[in-house]
Amino acid sequence: MKPVNPSFHLFESKGQHILIPDGSRIYKISKNIHQKLEELLEKDDVIEIDRWLIENDLQSLGKINDQPVSDPPLTSISLAIAQKCNLGCSYCYAQEGEFGVKPKNMPLEKAIAAVDLLFAQNMGAHKMNIAFLGGEPLANREALQAVTRYAKERSEAESKRINFSITTNGTLLTEDDADFFKKYGFSVTVSLDGVGEIHDRLRPFKGGKGSYERIIRNVEPLLALQKNMQVSARVTVTPLNLCLKETLDELIRLGFHSVGFSPMLSSPGGNNEMDSVSLETMLENMIACGQEFEKNLVAGKRYPFSNMSTALKEIHRGTHRPYPCGAGAGYLGVSASGELAACHRFVEDKKGYFGNLEEGIDRERQQAWLTERHVHRQEPCKSCWARYLCGGGCHHEVINRGRPACDYIRGWLNYVLQAYIRILDQRPDFFYPA
Amino acid sequence: MKKASSIEPKNLTAQLHYRGEGNPPSSHPSTAVSNCYPGLEMDFRNVWKHIFEGIVLLEYSNLVTGVEPGADEKIQRLVSSGIQYELISADGIPMTAPVTGPFRHSPEKIHDTISLEWSNALAEILPKAGQFVLCKFQNNNNLREILSIDLKVRHFFDVDLNRNGKVVSQRVVIARELAGPGDLTQSLCSPWQNDYRECDCFYWAASRPDFVNVEPGKDGKSKGNNWMQKDRTESGDKKYISDAEDGIAGNPVLISYQDLFAAWEENLRFIIAGKDEPLKKSVKKVKVLKKKKSK
Repeated sequence: MKPVNPSFHLFESKGQHILIPDGSRIYKISKNIHQKLEELLEKDDVIEIDRWLIENDLQSLGKINDQPVSDPPLTSISLAIAQKCNLGCSYCYAQEGEFGVKPKNMPLEKAIAAVDLLFAQNMGAHKMNIAFLGGEPLANREALQAVTRYAKERSEAESKRINFSITTNGTLLTEDDADFFKKYGFSVTVSLDGVGEIHDRLRPFKGGKGSYERIIRNVEPLLALQKNMQVSARVTVTPLNLCLKETLDELIRLGFHSVGFSPMLSSPGGNNEMDSVSLETMLENMIACGQEFEKNLVAGKRYPFSNMSTALKEIHRGTHRPYPCGAGAGYLGVSASGELAACHRFVEDKKGYFGNLEEGIDRERQQAWLTERHVHRQEPCKSCWARYLCGGGCHHEVINRGRPACDYIRGWLNYVLQAYIRILDQRPDFFYPA
Repeated sequence: MKKASSIEPKNLTAQLHYRGEGNPPSSHPSTAVSNCYPGLEMDFRNVWKHIFEGIVLLEYSNLVTGVEPGADEKIQRLVSSGIQYELISADGIPMTAPVTGPFRHSPEKIHDTISLEWSNALAEILPKAGQFVLCKFQNNNNLREILSIDLKVRHFFDVDLNRNGKVVSQRVVIARELAGPGDLTQSLCSPWQNDYRECDCFYWAASRPDFVNVEPGKDGKSKGNNWMQKDRTESGDKKYISDAEDGIAGNPVLISYQDLFAAWEENLRFIIAGKDEPLKKSVKKVKVLKKKKSK
């Protein structure tokens, strides 16, 4: 599927539909209108297309202009609390957790300074997020717990809400961790790349031994405690673990709150990156998971496939954005030595350097980033109907490898748009939380 | 309309931005010559008056102006025996904010409270639709007397509920129970009061054309009347009276306040296809009606 026209996208689902990218608006259209739009696409006459859209009240509303965001409040930070890891995943953006430098822990005073920066730069926002990433964050448990307590106390004193999250490989988890995460309402994400051997091949310990069994044993007490905290699984998809449906079913059976997939598009040495053939297979398998989600939803059964539920809710709201995520805007990463980065992936990487804890956010670099990364400045995004749903793709992956997954993204979005129409018809209540 | 039936908005942004069913494009907040204070096509403040089941509120001062029929005894107290109660907080969210600062022409500092605009202050209440929240009311005559009453929050948008009261679908349309017939327009400016004449640039009356009976002139320019001109006949002076050049206040060629109070319908008339509706026609109609009556 190619980006035939930036002004609209036609899709079929219980009748003909149109997506207007500006404002992510979705309309059902009659056969006659569909035929007319097909003709306009064939002619590819931009002026005539615009005129037709205006005459039918479907014109662009200028919801997103060329202006970059300026001086955004800082509402989320991630702390590379431990820049080291006990696993040796071949594709890791952090190069086995160390980001290409000497392994180290973040000292507690740096972590506290990062939290102070968040409170100083949130510009009155009432909600903030602190994410612990690494490396393996539990390799520096003491600082992690101490800074969590500090941030919680500060938020209570200032009547602000603060959310905590952690992405862990699960190998160092203990029952005490479970109690701690529950107490502070953490969102816990465990990286799992499949079931048993498939996971072990991609995420072994540094010595080569498999890690799956250990992780599952460690995670079970957390799964049993889910109420205040949520425990999700994140699966990085490589050409070696394309069996998505089997993985999804097993992780749901184990009791994860949600399970999400993300393709490996850029690794430091190019190891296990997805190519166009494996992305095609991934798309087919993602759609199979989506269809299972639809079947379960209609039957009133829980099937927490997070790629699907997140995309459906965003489409229902008409989410539209000029960036793929908050990196470099409301969200910054902090390295163990206190340098600020566009996000957790740009730690120790000069391409995404944003200043340091001592001197604060480098606003000049930030503004240059926000100007340059705006989706209107990206190619081929400018001419793609999916640009405001996708936002241009992960900055880190795009800067390091380009955009190899556009057909996959459009294919997935086209499927979710079709599913949205079906679910809106059969289970409209899905879109209204209790 | 054929077009409306063949394009059906599905998701929330599509519903928000597509033409409302049965309404002209100018009725959209984004296309209307509107603001919310008081607004031209509608007064948006009025949608909040009935947000809590049982009471009727006035935004300007948070005053309880009425209770709904069948409201329980505790709620009835809010309008009893001449005491005025103001809503001061709902679900812990304050409806007023303290104001301090210098006072004009006075060495004294001001210490007072100001009512907050409800579209902001009450926004966080909306997710609690269908639930009870604690509302606090203050007696205007005795500021120490605070009444605390749990009131149910109404749904702001038009929703379908299942048996358990859970929302199963929602449309981007203001709920009917928030805005009865006439509610949304009842506080708009009124021609029989000062409003139309009061605003020098005719902003309050902007949903009405202010350059009428327009015809192209031989010099390529257009000629027409200011809508407030007394003489808008063919033989009259066709010149637009502008605020900047001619001055509006006290200008004798314009309709005065007194003229409006006495006979605004005759003086202003409907504008049809850009022109004043001929007065004779309407007068004739009135006469015909009278004849029929006398039979």
